[in-house]
Amino acid sequence: MGEETEKKIIEAIKSNFQDAIEEAEVLRPKRISITVRNNKMFEVARFLRDRLKFDYVLSVGAVDYIKENRFQVIYYLLSSKEKVVLMLRTNIPRDKPFTPSLISVWEAVNYHERETWEMFGITFKGHPNLTRLLLPEDWEGGYPLRKDFKLSSSEGG
Amino acid sequence: MSEKSSKQVMRISWGPQHPMSGQVRILIDTDGERVLNIIPDIGFTHRGIEKILENRNIVQGVVPIERMVMVDTANIALSYVRAAEEILGIEPPKRAQYIRVIICEVCRILSHLYGFGLAAEACGGYPAVFLWSTADREPFLDLMERITGTRWSYSFFVPGGVYADFPDKIKEKFLATLEYFEERLEAYRRAWFENKIFESRAKDVGILKPEDAIRLGAAGPNLRGSGVALDVRKDEPYEVYDEIDFRVITQPEGDSYARLMVRYLEMVESVKIIRQAIENMPSGPYRKFVSPLKRLPKGEAYSRVETARGELGVHMISDGGTKPYRIKITSPTLRNLYVVSQMPKITEVLLADVPVILYSFDPWYLDADR
Repeated sequence: MGEETEKKIIEAIKSNFQDAIEEAEVLRPKRISITVRNNKMFEVARFLRDRLKFDYVLSVGAVDYIKENRFQVIYYLLSSKEKVVLMLRTNIPRDKPFTPSLISVWEAVNYHERETWEMFGITFKGHPNLTRLLLPEDWEGGYPLRKDFKLSSSEGG
Repeated sequence: MSEKSSKQVMRISWGPQHPMSGQVRILIDTDGERVLNIIPDIGFTHRGIEKILENRNIVQGVVPIERMVMVDTANIALSYVRAAEEILGIEPPKRAQYIRVIICEVCRILSHLYGFGLAAEACGGYPAVFLWSTADREPFLDLMERITGTRWSYSFFVPGGVYADFPDKIKEKFLATLEYFEERLEAYRRAWFENKIFESRAKDVGILKPEDAIRLGAAGPNLRGSGVALDVRKDEPYEVYDEIDFRVITQPEGDSYARLMVRYLEMVESVKIIRQAIENMPSGPYRKFVSPLKRLPKGEAYSRVETARGELGVHMISDGGTKPYRIKITSPTLRNLYVVSQMPKITEVLLADVPVILYSFDPWYLDADR
């Protein structure tokens, strides 16, 4: 019921990228989550933009799964036609935090990739201007949103 | 950068201390009157709200997240509360949902009035309009005080409902305020939107085509000002917006005037929404109690709310503790500022137009900084 569009989108992705998709599911109506092998990000992103019309970038973020020694980078995308939100995820090792920048696919990821870079220390390869966005230019305190970042307050440490 | 920049390029630094700039520094590269680059330098008010929220339970978390946008606290808090409710799998009582819609729409009016007053200042120093809009916020602030106990920064929404019941005895006063406000809106239209000076300052300035608006990521009224009818309240109705009759406002022109006009017409719609919500509000409980010490089930939720500045999302990931493992906030102003930075590349921008364009996007830098 009501999830036809979402299922169709997942089918289209799965049939075109069998070996690149680690996971694809409908979380609930209008929410799709797909996890992609890092080396296939470009191809999947282009497919999402050109064929499935995910044309609007909401944001880019990451999650630090420190116990599993990985980062998960998440692109929050919206299809302005179907009004469905898709989270495009990719896992990268915590000690080698590199992922391709998708700025050539979606120009609007510019600021969001910069923010993720400074907050998590994840390098977006190919980003033309990976400079500080929110933190001070002379910031040397590390990467604030990593789980091993020490807060000075009593609760966080 | 541009083919015409072989001449002298001057870089102007606007803010962060300038009274009109807000908590931001904006670098403007100019070649004579022509603007080549606009570079917003944000982060002056970065407080690490995402990190703070990892160390608060879902009841405490409502307070810090509201600090993102002080004029629009209800809509911001709602996105957080809804994400928590989705993870917990609870739905607030119907009456609470109506109360939430009323407060959210009042916040939209308060926010649009404020942004609109600032835009009037930016269009050539019209303090009168700013004073009008500030004065017209007062009756609404008084009503909010009656309902929530405070004039702004309500911290009134809580997972499971709202903190207190809507006092039915203020219904009449509420409706009278709406009537007064409708008269005022008419006055704004005559004094401001039909004003030759405002028209000449804002019309055909900073034109954003629909395809550019989507490609660059314009949010909320700025997107709708370019004729793109995206509004979370209609696309994915939350609370009781599906039981209420209202229009999604769009304007096809895409210029600064259109963006401000969208905000103006949205206030008219908000009045309609509030009136319906007050009349249709059922009686019954207003809160399902959720203990702040309750463990969140393992899982995730991404909630979307149409705030005054556009779609704001809260992605809450829980690992089974009492506090969320990670909170990601997708901020509308951050997207809007990227659009502003790209304006000189898609249309001709003169130096005098920069404040008009900037304030037509209604930026709220604390929203971008988080």
